[in-house]
Amino acid sequence: MIALDRASLRYGPILGLSPTTFELPDGGGITGLLGPNGAGKSSLLQLLSGLLPPSGGEVRIFGEAPFRNPAVLARLGLVPEGDRLPTGLRAGRWLRMMGELSGLSGEALSLAVAQSLETVGMTDRAHLPFVRMSKGMRQRIRLAQALMHGPELLILDEPFNGLDPEARLTLIALLRSLAEGGVRILVSSHILGEIAQLTDRILLLFRGRLLAEGTVTEIRQLLDRHPVELRLTGEAQVLARWAVEQPELAALRMEEGSVVLSVRSPREFFPRLQQAAAEGGIPLQALDPLDLNLDAVFQYLTKDHA
Amino acid sequence: MTTTAPSPLATIRAMALGYAPRIFQGRGWVLAASAIGPVVLVLGGHLIARLQGAESSAGEALQIFHEMIRMMLPIMALVAAPAGIREDLEQRTLPLLLVRPAPAWALPLGKGLPWFLWGALWLVVGTLGLQLLGGDPSLLLGRLGAQVGAWWGELALMTLVGLLFKRGTLWGALYFFIWEPLVRIFPPFLQRLTFTHYIESLAGSRSTSVQTSQLLAQEQVTTHPLLAFLILVAFGALCWAFAGWKLQRTPVGLAGSEAEG
Repeated sequence: MIALDRASLRYGPILGLSPTTFELPDGGGITGLLGPNGAGKSSLLQLLSGLLPPSGGEVRIFGEAPFRNPAVLARLGLVPEGDRLPTGLRAGRWLRMMGELSGLSGEALSLAVAQSLETVGMTDRAHLPFVRMSKGMRQRIRLAQALMHGPELLILDEPFNGLDPEARLTLIALLRSLAEGGVRILVSSHILGEIAQLTDRILLLFRGRLLAEGTVTEIRQLLDRHPVELRLTGEAQVLARWAVEQPELAALRMEEGSVVLSVRSPREFFPRLQQAAAEGGIPLQALDPLDLNLDAVFQYLTKDHA
Repeated sequence: MTTTAPSPLATIRAMALGYAPRIFQGRGWVLAASAIGPVVLVLGGHLIARLQGAESSAGEALQIFHEMIRMMLPIMALVAAPAGIREDLEQRTLPLLLVRPAPAWALPLGKGLPWFLWGALWLVVGTLGLQLLGGDPSLLLGRLGAQVGAWWGELALMTLVGLLFKRGTLWGALYFFIWEPLVRIFPPFLQRLTFTHYIESLAGSRSTSVQTSQLLAQEQVTTHPLLAFLILVAFGALCWAFAGWKLQRTPVGLAGSEAEG
């Protein structure tokens, strides 16, 4: 569905995105595009949505270059960052226009407008002018315009900005249901928690470079330089005695009723731990990975490349 | 759901209908006032003069109107063009339009069309209202053609300039208020590079009212009224096409600035 082959983007002398290569497969699912401000997230999204052509390399969406390509644009929806909407218009009429610009007409258009408004919970407020809408309402309308033509690929740039907690939860639920319905969703954010709630499949960008791609666990496993921290709960003395014999152990800390291990090469360590526990060799009651989460991965990767 | 790209005509229609409510808001009424203002002033002045017993001929009043409308048409273009596709560029809502499968080149004309029609409506109303003065009916068609044709061309030019330059309004104002008056002191053929020439060729004021002493250093150049009208229409169409081509070819990102300069 999405294929980038050494695609890069320059703004004059400034490199917005270094040559980047990755692919996302067909079918539904949510991929998080993660990185701090200025990492190149918006640059990447602009390439994918066909707003900007790549300065180098190649971008393929549904097998074709997306820039000003109606065949691609008819199949994707974009919710850019911010809550900007045209001044002086009302949601219903504007959505109708956006539907017509997507090739809808007649009953299909009316149905699409009604459905998209219902999906975002704005049916009874479509008559309001944009200027009288709250930020959350405007964000919902922007989402509605991206959904109304039934896109196979939905791209959202920082969609949670300015939303209250309730609206965030609503949006998360909506995106999940769309993904389950077969829509491939790409969501950018600089806030880890937002992405973590949506998906564990991420693209990690930093200073215009794609640092990592995959699930949090997959990426974490690439970081052998940074040991994984695990808390083993059980008889701490016995667990510690077993742990010090393992070649992957980097550090050990005793706690009451548990032991915290820093372990290199978790892919080799985990099977051995599981086997020992299963055979009754160690009195293990619980295993908690302490830094096998998005926050830790993000910190490690960005620190390495800073 | 499978959708296909809309045709250029469907795109223009969708944009025109979608943005039509904008003309009934503040800027739209300023535009209407700009078009109708000269008529109201001329009619009011004529009426007051007649009531006070002073002599005021219809010919003089029409001459004043010609001078005023020549100034007001550029002002109308300067008012309306920033509400065209330039507005979406500045408000950063253009990406929402550009990620649609509709042809991008049709967007400037689609958004400008309601403004053209609204302005043209008031120009026609004003010109017809002027007939209350008893102006020569044989010149009516020329007056209408001059104003609507020039309005079409000037709005298109301002839309194009607004896409080409960040300070498009400034460049447009310089053209209308510096170049157009200034060209009268340059060689006569340069008159053909002004809207004024075609307005005067169509409206008839040039040949009937302008004295040689009013011209500084040039001969009078004339263009057949029908040809003058066609040139205004063609120039406008060319500007809309160029604006569309510019938008179609130029990458416009989320920051909205890539299309400029």
